[in-house]
Amino acid sequence: MSKKMLFAMAALLVLFGQAPSQTGVKKRRPLPYEYGRVIINNYSEKAELAPVVFEHWVHRSKYTCRVCHVDVGFAMKAGATDITAADNSRGYYCGACHNGKTVVEGRIVFQACSKKGTSEESKRCQRCHSYGLKVASDYDFFHFSEPLPKERFGNGLDWEKAEELGLIKPASFLEGVSGKKSSLALQKDFALNAKVEGMPDIIFSHKKHTVWNGCELCHPEIFVGVKKGNTRYSMVDISEGKSCGVCHTTVAFPLTDCQRCHSKPV
Amino acid sequence: MFKRKIVGAVLLLGLVGPCAAQAADEPRRSAAQADAEQKSWEKEFDEVCSKTQDAMTFSEEELKDLIRRCDALLPQIEKLDESQRKVHLGRLRKCRGLYAYVLDAKGNEKK
Repeated sequence: MSKKMLFAMAALLVLFGQAPSQTGVKKRRPLPYEYGRVIINNYSEKAELAPVVFEHWVHRSKYTCRVCHVDVGFAMKAGATDITAADNSRGYYCGACHNGKTVVEGRIVFQACSKKGTSEESKRCQRCHSYGLKVASDYDFFHFSEPLPKERFGNGLDWEKAEELGLIKPASFLEGVSGKKSSLALQKDFALNAKVEGMPDIIFSHKKHTVWNGCELCHPEIFVGVKKGNTRYSMVDISEGKSCGVCHTTVAFPLTDCQRCHSKPV
Repeated sequence: MFKRKIVGAVLLLGLVGPCAAQAADEPRRSAAQADAEQKSWEKEFDEVCSKTQDAMTFSEEELKDLIRRCDALLPQIEKLDESQRKVHLGRLRKCRGLYAYVLDAKGNEKK
C-alpha cells in the first residue's frame, strides 16, 4: 500500500510539479505563407462577419511599407488602426485601393465594404472577412513565390533581392493619396556594436530601410533617440516587438536570421 | 390705379428678386466655400508633409517653420469627418514628429 502511495505521489509530482516551473508556451513558428499575416477583428465579429485576414506578402510585393503605413495611415501595430467599414467605403485605409477603380498590374482592385446586403455582396465581403472560412484567394503564395530568391526564415523569401532583380516592383506612390516627394538623400550606413563577445557587429543599412520606409515611419515613433550611441537596444526588447522588433518580429525577416543584421566581418 | 399696381409689382420684384436669387445661391456658395477650404488645407498639408525626405537638409529655422505650419494645420484637421480626421491626424503627427526629431538632432550636433 505504502509503495503504491509513494508511486502515486511521485507520478503526481512529475505530472503537476513541472507545469508551474515552465514560464510559457512555445509559439509555433508561422509557415512561410502565414508569416506577416494580421487578423483584424475590431468590429468584424460584432457585425456578424468573420475577422479579416490580411496577408502582408501580397501587399508588400506591390507597395512599399511607407505607402500603407504613412500615406494611407495604417498603424504599425495590429488592430491599432481601428479601421471601420465606413472608413473603407469613404475611400480611406483599405478603401484607398480597394475601391473598385484602382488598377494594379492590369487588374481592378475589388471594392472593400459596402452597405448592400445581397448574396453576391456577401461573397465579396468574404474576400477579406475570411478567418476560419475556406475562401479561394486570387493569389497563391506558392505560385507567387516560385520565381523569387529564397531565404531561410519568415516568408522564406529574400524580398530585397527580389526587388533588386526586378521580380517585384513595390510602388512608392499612390495616386490621390501620396504627396509628391523628392527623391531621398541617402543616409550613411553605420555599425552598431554587438554586446555578446564573438557576435559580429551589426551593419545598419539606412539605404535599405529608407527606400521602403522613408524617414517618418521610423523616426521618432520607433527610434526615439536623436544622438547616435545613446539608445541601447537589447535583444529582449527587440524580441518583445520594440525598435527593430516592430518589423523584424512580424513582417520583415525574423530575429532567427541572426547574420542578416550581425553582418560585420570579424 | 392698375398702372400703379404694375409699377409696384415691378419695383417689388426688382427688390426681392436679387435677394431671392442670392438666398437660393447661398447653399451652393457655402458648398463651394467648404470645397475651397478643403482644397486649401489639403494643399498646405501636401506641401508641408511632402518635404520629409529633405528633413536632414533643412536649417533649424526652416524646420521650426515647418513645425509651426504643422501646428497651424491641426485645428483644420480636427474639424474633418471621422475617417479623414483619423488618417490625417496620424500623417500630421508623423510628419511633425520627424521635423521635431531632426531639429533635436541638429541641436544635439551643436553641443
